[in-house]
Amino acid sequence: MSHATLLDLSRWQWALTAAFHITFPAVTVGTSVFLVVCYAMYMRTYDEVWLRMFRFWRRIFGIGFALGVVSGIVLTFEFGLNWGRFAHDVGPIVGVIIAMEVVTAFFLEAGFLGLLVYGEGRIGKRMMLFSTCMVTLGTTLSVTWILVANSWMQTPDGYRIVDGQFQATNWLHVIFNPSFGIRFVHMLMGALIAAAWFIAGVSAWYLVKRRHLPIARRGVSVTLGVLALLVPVQMFIGDHVAGDYVFQDKPAQGLAMEGNWNNGNTGENFFVIPDQGAAKNDWQVTVPWLGSAIAKDWSGHTATPGLKQVPEQLRPAMLPTFYGFRLMWWSSVVMLAVAMIGIALRLRGRLYSARWFHKLVVAMVPIGVVATWAGWVLAETGRQPWLVYGKLLTADAVSPLRPAAVLTTLITFVLVYLALLGTYVWYVARVIREGPGDGPLAERAAPSLRPAPVPNPAPAT
Amino acid sequence: MQLSDVWMLFVALALTMYIVLDGYDLGIGVLTLLDRDPGRRRQMHELVAWIWDGNESWLILLALTLWAGVPLVTGIALPALYLPLILMLFALIARGVALELIEHHDGWHRGWGTLFGLGSLVAAFCQGAAFGGLVAGLPAYGDTFAGGPFTFLHHGYAVVTGLTAVALYVLAGSAFLYRKATGDTQRLAARAGRVAVVALAAGTVASWLLAAPAGPLTLHPGETARLPIWIGGAVLLTGGLAFALRSFRVDPTGTGSDRAPVLATLTVYGGGLLIAAGLLYPTLVPPGIIVHAAASPQSSLLFVIVGVGLVIPIILTYQAFGYWVFRGKLTPKHEGGAA
Repeated sequence: MSHATLLDLSRWQWALTAAFHITFPAVTVGTSVFLVVCYAMYMRTYDEVWLRMFRFWRRIFGIGFALGVVSGIVLTFEFGLNWGRFAHDVGPIVGVIIAMEVVTAFFLEAGFLGLLVYGEGRIGKRMMLFSTCMVTLGTTLSVTWILVANSWMQTPDGYRIVDGQFQATNWLHVIFNPSFGIRFVHMLMGALIAAAWFIAGVSAWYLVKRRHLPIARRGVSVTLGVLALLVPVQMFIGDHVAGDYVFQDKPAQGLAMEGNWNNGNTGENFFVIPDQGAAKNDWQVTVPWLGSAIAKDWSGHTATPGLKQVPEQLRPAMLPTFYGFRLMWWSSVVMLAVAMIGIALRLRGRLYSARWFHKLVVAMVPIGVVATWAGWVLAETGRQPWLVYGKLLTADAVSPLRPAAVLTTLITFVLVYLALLGTYVWYVARVIREGPGDGPLAERAAPSLRPAPVPNPAPAT
Repeated sequence: MQLSDVWMLFVALALTMYIVLDGYDLGIGVLTLLDRDPGRRRQMHELVAWIWDGNESWLILLALTLWAGVPLVTGIALPALYLPLILMLFALIARGVALELIEHHDGWHRGWGTLFGLGSLVAAFCQGAAFGGLVAGLPAYGDTFAGGPFTFLHHGYAVVTGLTAVALYVLAGSAFLYRKATGDTQRLAARAGRVAVVALAAGTVASWLLAAPAGPLTLHPGETARLPIWIGGAVLLTGGLAFALRSFRVDPTGTGSDRAPVLATLTVYGGGLLIAAGLLYPTLVPPGIIVHAAASPQSSLLFVIVGVGLVIPIILTYQAFGYWVFRGKLTPKHEGGAA
């Protein structure tokens, strides 16, 4: 009983801290790409609108990055703090991969962020562009290594087990494990899309308020153009994530996310209220024939298999997998619709005048982050009860802590993270209300610490 | 010399870089608590605002070098040090976020500043406490921690090492601030630095005397080959402390070098690390866990030694470039409470 409590508390703490963390990279990865575009365009065209956009989004990027850093450090330690057995067993593989992430990505981001945020006036334009590129390279490499580690846990490869510890036998197989490629592309695209909606929404808010119009128009135009391209591609990739990897390599997750317990349902479930213990749905809304059609059998005879064919103790929880998948999928449908409306309006020359559409885009601000959360809930709960799929059970990996200690820290995390989230929203809202400014441009922007230190000539010693 | 010994050089590098760089960073945070003048506080914030996340990267690298290279240590020590490390994480969160927001909350500037200072203080203390808890010994059964949530305290020994760490970081912060500041701020650094030297000396002696009664500390005293390391470490430590006490000039006359306290502090670090390594190595988690038994297999060590080894010089280059860009003295024009 105590172990079950400890396991649940430890899992909730991980889920909370990981979900909180992913919120920030989900936005900053794409924003860093946008910063590169803005500054490169400024250097090409000398158009100060680009420079204003760069400085404005840099402020929002800075605070998101800081929160990503501090919440990421938490995860780094939690691997060992709460999952000591996991740390011991997979350290030779996952520890090594994350060590590579730290040296190639994290240091790079942190090392050049100082120049990006505080360097204006101290370094030249080329160096500023270079620093921005390095920060972006860092964020992208970070996504790469994290997806290597997580994909290896989903589809472990290139290892052997010696005395309960995983040892790499082939690093190429570890890194390019079966699910890495498609999941990496899926996550990177997700991050770009999440940032694009965020930027599009804020820019559209200025259109609604009729403020900073040149910046608002350019922001809406660039991001909606990119989204019209990325969202359909992402839906295509997501389809392959499900088809080529989930149903092949993690069949139990595939069964759970379709919401059936028994074989034989040829329809598609839209809503279910599952009873995991009794292995049945208390209630479900099913559209007949559609399940078979999705499986590309238009005659309506192909049934979706049910979760009962998996032994009870190896079944993932249906509730989070089913709704994680549906929340992600329906979000993408909404994104596609709004992006296509954007294309239609642009073709009719009404992109900057359709105020109802601007309000719609404002409402889309969080949608990419929500879809990212949902996707990760699906991936992580769908892997249960395994930590390393098929090899290491989550229940065996937890640190032997006192449940009371974990409960205490979990409650503190909830309170601290709620305060942090509130602070973040308050700060970003404040930056947005202040806006990128309409007055003459300063030679160097006031960075978030004003006024910045100015060096004297070489100090005499 | 085995591959795991080579890897321990990376652990040592990450540890040294972290306690030196974030040491001054956290130390300056503690110093902000000693000065209520908004102008001088702001100067101190500016000193670390651009680099705090870069400095903390070394903490992450330290955690990862241990996890990747000696996973048994992570598997035992982190659950054993659960409470001090979680508290440290909360403190690091608080100070990082507070520092980013300090200039943006007109009405609550002082509040964010205080949070930054307190976060720095608590983080420094927790790191020292975790270190003390570790060296005094953590009971393990097989490859699992076998103690309770407060085992790390060792009847208060961890409190002594925690306070000693605060003194060490305040010394580092004072030395760096003394180097970068002028006028009143520099005088504050000199005064705080002298107090820190005395506190650190007392803390080091207390940590030394209480170490044996605190727990099953495994020393390797029989090995005469280590004698030069201990003596060298002790000479560096005491010499560095004496040098630091002399070089913090409360009334800078222009004749002394304002680099001297930084050099003295680095000497102190060098001495302390030599003594710790000379006493403990190859034990990583007293009483029983040694490097070679805790190490990752060769395939992992080889991969990280090559991978991390290739990247570390690049990291050091661009971090040095950053310090070069932000070189020179802080401008004194904001002094005297202009904010």
